[in-house]
Amino acid sequence: MRPRGHASHSPVLQSLVGAGVALLGLALAAGAFTIPSNAGYAGVGPNFLPWVVALALLTCGVRLFFKARRGGFRNMEEHTGEHPFWGGFAWLSAGLLLNAALITTIGFILSCTLCFVLAARGLRLAQDPLAKGWAPTVRDAGVGVLIAAPVFWAFTKFLGISLPGLTQTGWL
Amino acid sequence: MEVWNLLLQGFATAGTPVNLLWAFVGCALGTAVGVLPGIGPATAVAMLLPITSQVEATASMIFFAGIYYGAMYGGSTTSILLNTPGETATMVTAMEGNKMAKSGRAGAALATSAIGSLFAPMLAEFAVRLGPPEYFMLMVLAFTTVSAVLGQSTVRGLTALFIGLAMGLVGMDQITGQVRYTAGVPELLDGVEIVLVAVGLFAVAEAMHAVLFEGKVVETENRMSRVTMTLRDWKRSVPAWLRGTAIGAPFGCIPAGGTEIPTFLSYAVEKKLAKGDDLAEFGNAGAIEGVAGPEAANNATVTAAMIPLLTLGIPVSNTTAILLGAFQNYGIQPGPQLFTTSSALVWALIASLYIGNVMLLVLNLPMIGLWVKLLKVPKPQLYAGILIFATVGAYGMRQSAFDLYLLYAIGLLGLVMRRFNFPTAPVLVGMILGPLAEAQMRNAISIGEGSALIFVQRPISLGLLVLVVLILVLPRLLKARTPTLH
Repeated sequence: MRPRGHASHSPVLQSLVGAGVALLGLALAAGAFTIPSNAGYAGVGPNFLPWVVALALLTCGVRLFFKARRGGFRNMEEHTGEHPFWGGFAWLSAGLLLNAALITTIGFILSCTLCFVLAARGLRLAQDPLAKGWAPTVRDAGVGVLIAAPVFWAFTKFLGISLPGLTQTGWL
Repeated sequence: MEVWNLLLQGFATAGTPVNLLWAFVGCALGTAVGVLPGIGPATAVAMLLPITSQVEATASMIFFAGIYYGAMYGGSTTSILLNTPGETATMVTAMEGNKMAKSGRAGAALATSAIGSLFAPMLAEFAVRLGPPEYFMLMVLAFTTVSAVLGQSTVRGLTALFIGLAMGLVGMDQITGQVRYTAGVPELLDGVEIVLVAVGLFAVAEAMHAVLFEGKVVETENRMSRVTMTLRDWKRSVPAWLRGTAIGAPFGCIPAGGTEIPTFLSYAVEKKLAKGDDLAEFGNAGAIEGVAGPEAANNATVTAAMIPLLTLGIPVSNTTAILLGAFQNYGIQPGPQLFTTSSALVWALIASLYIGNVMLLVLNLPMIGLWVKLLKVPKPQLYAGILIFATVGAYGMRQSAFDLYLLYAIGLLGLVMRRFNFPTAPVLVGMILGPLAEAQMRNAISIGEGSALIFVQRPISLGLLVLVVLILVLPRLLKARTPTLH
């Protein structure tokens, strides 16, 4: 028997996943309505595959939903960790989203350092929720710059990939 | 012989100092990402895809191939040294003394490269004669095996495949230029970048999973004990390597994908052939042929997986799917014509397989201590650092901050998929191969003058169709016939 208690084995969550897949199928089907069929010689036009995908996802979603209702997904792997740690996840998400919001204004190096610091803080809290001190975070800022700056220089100077800088100097 | 000349030319191209350096950096980087948890070869290649805009095609393909093979070696090092939670400790610790048995990987890969360099041009010559209906059916075969056969659940595999196909739909249709599913966002006109999906599904989702669920997980490390092999070990390993190569190589050549089946087969064969004391070691103290055989099979499959990619243009794994994306960035479409249009590139790539595998042998055995140190990098900094590289990959491709938001969204998708055991390979294969399959299907039906009967009128296409149906139906029939245990 499968052990109880893991979030991924919860029938409610599994049903939600199935419903989500089915909804995605419906959304794709709604989109497929707006695509003209102008098939030409091919017999099938640009709206053919969208319909196939939409209906397939709808079918899969419904099947997943009923599997979840009737005893859950089969052959699930055993997962590590019991309860999700949302606090850490919030820090990590903040890091990623602020990076997306700020990268063009404050430049790659600073933006990525910020992402690094916030993500590392989240991961550190995940390991020990009581370690709320800021000393490791200050050190992370240093480490973050030490990773982001050489990456920035390597990619922009040697590989010629344009990444946003804070200044026009090409070094920051 | 013509093949020899071409191969020699390939060695001449791959052997220039610059290309050797790319191969070396690729192998070293590949080993490092293989050793580190959180990034695999697919992610590493994906994050570095932006370099295709600057670095010349041959050099970057050699580099990517190096990462691909390097990561396989690195990954096996980690699996010996770390007791990943959930895996039975005996199995892993039993492998401890058998590190050397894994060096059979190099032999298997070299032998497969040799077979492959003779076999690939023949396959390409054959493949030239295939038309759109056959190609479409081959791609359907790849879809079926990747999604329905390799995972634990057919429904979940198919769901992942169709999510990938849906992602591939976004943007302009290849044949008519019709815009689909862009929701008015101009960034989506070109479609969703493969880098974004790969990096999001693997790297970002991995970091999210780590912060949510793995904070308290403590890994235990195994100590390396003996690293030399006795004469008896050699006697037991060499035949196992040969058998493993023979089992693995054909599996890699067909567009079906997956290393699970050949490795499992090889393990079963070795167990069957073992006698007496050797047999008693299986699943107990760790039988050396039980490591050597599957390892060789695994590597032979992985090496040979380049063959369907190059000759047919059909990827069957995450990494080969991304390599196909890299080819597309250069405007090169892998397939049978590749051997005539980009012959120099193909042969340089094949030659680099030999060079790379020799390099890996040199890098791995003496330097294992160095790689082990990589495991000491603290998790928070490791995952946070991976996110920096993920940003480079995602942003560097199109210089758009929109892509970074999309990266986050795909990370969330990857997290859900990972948590509920949806396989990720079908997403990438579906996304990359989907548009190609759609074009082949529509061309095929055009040839059939608007009739889908074209797929059953041509013998090869019909044969492939029957095979696909068998793959989908047969396991169910077998299951229905065997009485259930409940």
